[in-house]
Amino acid sequence: MEVSITRQGKTTTVEFVGRLDTPASAEVSAALSPVIEDASGTIILDCSRMTYISSSGLRIFLTVRKAAASKGGSVVVKDINSDIRNVFMMTGFLNLFEIR
Amino acid sequence: MKNRVTKKSAINWRSALSGFMLIFVAAATLIATSLIQYFFSQKGIRDEATARAQSQLESAEAKITYIVNQAESAVRNSVWIARFCLAYPDSLNLVASRLVRDNPEVTGSTVAMVPGYYKKRPLFAPYVFRADSGALVLKSLATKEYDYPSQEWFTMPLETGAGYWSEPYVDVGGGEMLMTTYSMPITNKSGKNAAVITADISLDWLTDLVGKLDVYPHAFSIVVSRKGMIMVSPVQELVMTMTVAEAIETMDDTETLREIGRAMMSGETGEATVVQKGVANRVFYAPIECTGWSMAIVVPEKEIFTGLRRVEWVVRLLQALGILLLTIILVAAARNQRKALKLSRQKERIEGELKIARDIQMAMVPKTFPPFPDRDDIDMSATIIPAKEVGGDLYDFYIRDEKLFFCVGDVSGKGIPASLVMAVTRSLFRAVSAHEKSPRKIVESMNVSMSETNESNMFVTFFCGVLDMKTGHLRYCNAGHNAPMVLTDHIYRLPVQPNLPLGIMKDMHFVEQETDFNYDDAIFLYTDGLTEAENQSHELFGEERMEEVLHGRKDAEGHLEAMNEAVSRFVGGTARSDDLTMLFIHYLNDNIERQKEKHLHLYNDISQIGLLADFVQSVVEGSKLGQDVIMSINLALEEAVTNAVLYAYPQGTRGEIEIEAAMRDDELEFVLTDSGKPFDPTAVPEADTTLGVEDRKIGGLGIFLVRKIMDNVRYERKNGRNILTMNKKI
Repeated sequence: MEVSITRQGKTTTVEFVGRLDTPASAEVSAALSPVIEDASGTIILDCSRMTYISSSGLRIFLTVRKAAASKGGSVVVKDINSDIRNVFMMTGFLNLFEIR
Repeated sequence: MKNRVTKKSAINWRSALSGFMLIFVAAATLIATSLIQYFFSQKGIRDEATARAQSQLESAEAKITYIVNQAESAVRNSVWIARFCLAYPDSLNLVASRLVRDNPEVTGSTVAMVPGYYKKRPLFAPYVFRADSGALVLKSLATKEYDYPSQEWFTMPLETGAGYWSEPYVDVGGGEMLMTTYSMPITNKSGKNAAVITADISLDWLTDLVGKLDVYPHAFSIVVSRKGMIMVSPVQELVMTMTVAEAIETMDDTETLREIGRAMMSGETGEATVVQKGVANRVFYAPIECTGWSMAIVVPEKEIFTGLRRVEWVVRLLQALGILLLTIILVAAARNQRKALKLSRQKERIEGELKIARDIQMAMVPKTFPPFPDRDDIDMSATIIPAKEVGGDLYDFYIRDEKLFFCVGDVSGKGIPASLVMAVTRSLFRAVSAHEKSPRKIVESMNVSMSETNESNMFVTFFCGVLDMKTGHLRYCNAGHNAPMVLTDHIYRLPVQPNLPLGIMKDMHFVEQETDFNYDDAIFLYTDGLTEAENQSHELFGEERMEEVLHGRKDAEGHLEAMNEAVSRFVGGTARSDDLTMLFIHYLNDNIERQKEKHLHLYNDISQIGLLADFVQSVVEGSKLGQDVIMSINLALEEAVTNAVLYAYPQGTRGEIEIEAAMRDDELEFVLTDSGKPFDPTAVPEADTTLGVEDRKIGGLGIFLVRKIMDNVRYERKNGRNILTMNKKI
């Protein structure tokens, strides 16, 4: 799993490449802590190249979402594939995120 | 027990008795030998004493003869002069003088005329003798008191016409010397006796000479005259005062002495034993021919045998020592014998116990064949032939939950130690496999137990297999054992990870492998006692021969019989050096419920989750499942495994998680097993997915996903394990 974070003004883009499984989540969680700290802007979670997500990945998404909600920011999940969409659907995450 | 004691003491008594007998016989033999030796020694010593005495006697005689001969020849030489001088009576004294002068041993001499030979001098006997001063003194023997014509020295030669030695006498006139006289007749020209010429010789030298015959310290000599007068004797009073015959009457044992006296008087040579005052004496006697004397040497018997007696003492001492030594040896031997007896009894007992141990050992492994008479899906046979009474090989098998658990092992070493380890190994196998169906886990668990208790550093090569009777799926784990042979349409060696034998390293991880059996497939397991069976020329039976025998299908028992026969034929008379164990399993299920089985072993580290994706791929490989389904299965499995990884074991400890996946025609089954603390993930409340962001809980998603993806999720706690079974219809 590779994660890249880019900031452009008030917009932070996080790109996930590969599988966000349990082991990867631990690393990703650490990498995203600055994003969670400063969640007042728009956070774009770019999933166009993410192939897999597990509940720990979902937890990270939820953490970011909660942080944004409390700090007045917004979270956009971008380009999830059908498999991941299916997981989002099962877990009710489709209702929690703005999916583009 | 009572019997044994009686028997033991009887044996002791018998051996003690035979020991005493032996000592007795040895002592008797020794004594008899020494008696015989003593007898012969005594005889030898006696003979030697006789020889010594005889030689002494002979030498004395020779010396006496020599002196006597000188006197005799002196007289004889004077005879013709005397005869010549008969015509001149006044010159006769010169003849005597010359004889004395010329012969130092002659002390006196006379020419005594036959009475009336000279008319003018009816008795005429001029006598010349050597005085103490050495001067020659002339004296006439023709005195009235002396009456020489009646003297023996005068009459005897005239009577016999030959030389005559007189009886010894003590010369009263001179220095009371012991004397003897040799006299010879002198005839005139007409052959008529005219005179007697004499030579007196002192016998003082005789005492000296005889006194020197000291053959033994207390030996003494006696010389007697022709008439039995004692001439030389240690008892001075007897000399010339008594005859032997008279002296004998004053002594003990007169009878023997008389006989000796008679023999001596008769000029005989001989010896006899005489007891005087309780002391035995040996008397040796011999005549002195020239004078008609006899001489005897008397030796106390005790002195003759002094040397022998000393030797006898030494011999007795040695004998006593010998018998003592013999006794010691016998006692030691008896003790040794007892020890040997004890040892042999111990050996018997051990052998008996070994036989029992063998029976016990043999009873540990299944011995009834066919073992599963009710089943037609399996034919198997096994054999174990220990090289000694008990061995370190083992096999075992049984069916549980439609799975055949089987194993073959070979303990390092042989004999009793190996057999004990074998028993432990077999018990462990039974104990561990009772609630474990992964051969790897069975092997690892056994390895831990055996390494912990392995004081003697013995190890076991071990092969463990679990054959699913319904599916033909074989899972196996090898711990340093030789790879079994698989018989399908061809024969090949089952690929095995060598791993380490059991009992070497406690935390050794073993690799499990798996394969599928089809109808009519068979597996042949063996210990190296088969391939390493040696014949007389030290060739090994080897794998080629083994494979050859495996060719050609037979029933399980037939295979083992053929193999055993081949080995026996190969080794011939050579004693087997190693245990031989064989196990043959013929799988005959013609209605195999195919299922694809996969296993994955993980430990409680989150990084292990990365292995799941490949594992799921391998499980579904060849199926027509879509990528989305595969991914969701992966997800469900990950969630379940993550739960176990995070919560089953306390942090910082290592624990295992096992995944069994079975792919059937209509469903996929995953069974997750861990031996952590009891944890039922199905009891965790599901996340409420309808809540909004603020109310949404972070946790609870995992098990929710499992439930959502899988069609059936079931939790069990069994044998200290958490078992989570998940099914997905496909």
